Amino acid sequence: MEEGTQLQVSIDKLPIKRLESIEENGIERFPSDVDYDEKRLSLIRRIDFAWAVEKDDEEKNKKQKKASKEASTPWQWQSMVENLQLAHQELSVIIDLINTVEANDAVTVASMTRPKLLSNEALSDLAVSAATKLQCYRHVGKYFKQSAKAFERQVAREARFYGALIRLQQNWKVKRQRQAAIAPGSEGFTFDLFDTSYDQGAIYRSSSTSTVRVNHNPAGMLAINVSPNSCHSLQFGFVGAQSEERLGKSEEHKSDFSDEHHMEETDKKPLNDEVCVKKTHSLLREVHKAIFNEQVFDLVNREAFNASTGVTVTGIRENYLQLSLGQGTSVYLSLVPSDQDRSAVESESNNDVENANLPESSDEMECDAKHNTWKKEEQFHHSTCYEIYIQQIFHDYIFGRGSEKPVSSGSRLSGAQAKDGSGLLGHFFMSLAHRIFSIKVLKELENVACKVPYLQLISNPTWNSRASSWTLNMEVPQSIIRTSDFNEKNASKRQFWTKVLVNDDCINVKAEGSPNVSGLFKGKAEETHTINRYDCNIADLAVVILQQVASQIINWLYHEAMMVGIKANRDFLSLCFELEQGETLCLIANVDPEDIEGCISWWLVMADSFAEEQKLHMNMNMNDGASEYRKFLGHLSLELLYATLMDLVGLCCGGGGGH
Amino acid sequence: MNKGGPVGGGGLGVGGSGPTAAAAAAAAQKQKTLLQRVEGDIANIVDNFSHLVNVARVNDPPVRNSQESFMMEMRAARMVQAADSLLKLVSELKQTAIFSGFASLNDHVEQRRVEFNELGEKTDRLLSRIGEEAAASLKELETHYSSSAQKNI
Repeated sequence: MEEGTQLQVSIDKLPIKRLESIEENGIERFPSDVDYDEKRLSLIRRIDFAWAVEKDDEEKNKKQKKASKEASTPWQWQSMVENLQLAHQELSVIIDLINTVEANDAVTVASMTRPKLLSNEALSDLAVSAATKLQCYRHVGKYFKQSAKAFERQVAREARFYGALIRLQQNWKVKRQRQAAIAPGSEGFTFDLFDTSYDQGAIYRSSSTSTVRVNHNPAGMLAINVSPNSCHSLQFGFVGAQSEERLGKSEEHKSDFSDEHHMEETDKKPLNDEVCVKKTHSLLREVHKAIFNEQVFDLVNREAFNASTGVTVTGIRENYLQLSLGQGTSVYLSLVPSDQDRSAVESESNNDVENANLPESSDEMECDAKHNTWKKEEQFHHSTCYEIYIQQIFHDYIFGRGSEKPVSSGSRLSGAQAKDGSGLLGHFFMSLAHRIFSIKVLKELENVACKVPYLQLISNPTWNSRASSWTLNMEVPQSIIRTSDFNEKNASKRQFWTKVLVNDDCINVKAEGSPNVSGLFKGKAEETHTINRYDCNIADLAVVILQQVASQIINWLYHEAMMVGIKANRDFLSLCFELEQGETLCLIANVDPEDIEGCISWWLVMADSFAEEQKLHMNMNMNDGASEYRKFLGHLSLELLYATLMDLVGLCCGGGGGH
Repeated sequence: MNKGGPVGGGGLGVGGSGPTAAAAAAAAQKQKTLLQRVEGDIANIVDNFSHLVNVARVNDPPVRNSQESFMMEMRAARMVQAADSLLKLVSELKQTAIFSGFASLNDHVEQRRVEFNELGEKTDRLLSRIGEEAAASLKELETHYSSSAQKNI
């Protein structure tokens, strides 16, 4: 302010609320609060700018006077200049105010308010928040969808897995391991294939294979891992038998297991659940059979060293046992992995022949050489039978002890033997020895029956593993039977039998012998003839048979002679007729198993009354068939023998004399 | 547990021996535990889902959106965890059914045993018949061979 100017001081009212009015009802009215802007505006208005304005007015008047004096007409831009000057003055005031505020001189900033957002600005923030939240929900939704799909897959996997497990549980024992022992990714299920019927002492061998762990394949289906090497199959055979047939059988077994195991392992092609369960069931069955085979092998291994079995252990290796039955027969029993080439086992066993138990005597060596050819041909055909038989024996022993099933005769063991495991192996090898021996006996009988045309060999099945029986039947031809013989009493004489019964290695020959007088009167067919019984060895079997047959022929001829009323004398192998001059005409049978043309040949010998017996007992020379006292008739059939008999009868009736 | 039999009435109403009562009590306890687990899991799912829905309101301060997104992820994870727990419970029930279904197992085993016994008897009869037929065929062949010209030469 300029000097001399009067200073005016205005005093503001105290910033307290003063009662403006009060109504009759007592309501007090206070002045309304002044807004900050209004307050500021009022403060600015209180600033007196009159002096400045008057000053300016005076200056303007002077200028106007000057201007009017100078120019009679106004300038076109004069108004704009004046407006700008006014604006300049206002701006200078504001600038002064701002400077004062900045200097914090008497004016302070009470508050600052954010300017109100415009509607679009407020909605944009809301939109961003909403979009962000929507994105979050979408992310959560995607997460839920992924989780739902994963759960669906898991449910489907579990449904397949447990469905298969429940189906397999109907046939197999399922166990669950404790939580601590469960491997990651596995539920701890196992199949326990070890049967409680097995001997507890043999658990050590089968513990690794008897528990099969249940796993998941990549498709989520139940799967089991069984190593082919852990499954063994039982193999029985004769040492030195041909290996080609065994190899063929081994390849068949190998293909069955390897195909199943291959299909179980490879999941390149998704299998039907039904097929998968069946394959698993087959695999488990293979393991189950392998455990059983191991049990059988263990039992045989333990019992083989028992002296009562009658066999000698000649070779032993891992999963391989070689036994000698005597008489040059050696067998082996081995456990072969399912995928191993079994010919390797055969080659090893063949190499062991040299180390096998050699025959004790030279006679046995000759016997071996004689039967060596048939051994290799026959043994293979029976090795499979023996393999099955030994499995059956031990199966009945292991699983049939508590069974109430009656033991059938013949094919099964007796009750006493079934209870004792140590007798099983002995029984098996005795059956084996009997089978080998009976084959030899059959060969002899076939040899005899083949060479004697009127002999018929009939097999009599005994259904016993240690007994065999055959019948050599001789039947009188129909053309010989006379019409008067067609009655029951004489019909039995048409057939003559010789039975051969083999028990283990004992041969018993039973034949129909000479007619029984008392039995003839009784009229019973089984009592008309005596029964001859002999025990013999195989070397004498053919001779005994032939002698019995020849004796039966002699008896038959004697009976025929009696029928026609001719008195004759008979011996075991001779039939003698007495002639009128006291001479004796004898029909003598000669048996020779080695005779190629026929085992039974006939001689006709004439002897006088004075002890021509010495000639009769002379050793008849086959080459000397035209002796004065004896004549070789040859190998006659029954028809020819009957005709010869009739000739002799006629000779006896017609008178004696020479030939 | 009382092994001497029911004493004073344990509330089970089982008049059997000790192990049977103990097994029944264990089964009831296990059933109760399973039901609790089921209820807990379902309540967990419902609770988390309701929180998820409640968070749907859009708030003005943008800072809270980040917090809510983390919370939503957490709620969703809890829901999935509860669902997984339910599935595991179902698996346990299936395992229990496998190992505890003795009645049906025994019936099936008995049925199979009868079937296998019948099969065994049938096989025995079949083997007997085969043996008889083999014996008859052998006899016929032997007779034919004996009467054939090959033998009589």
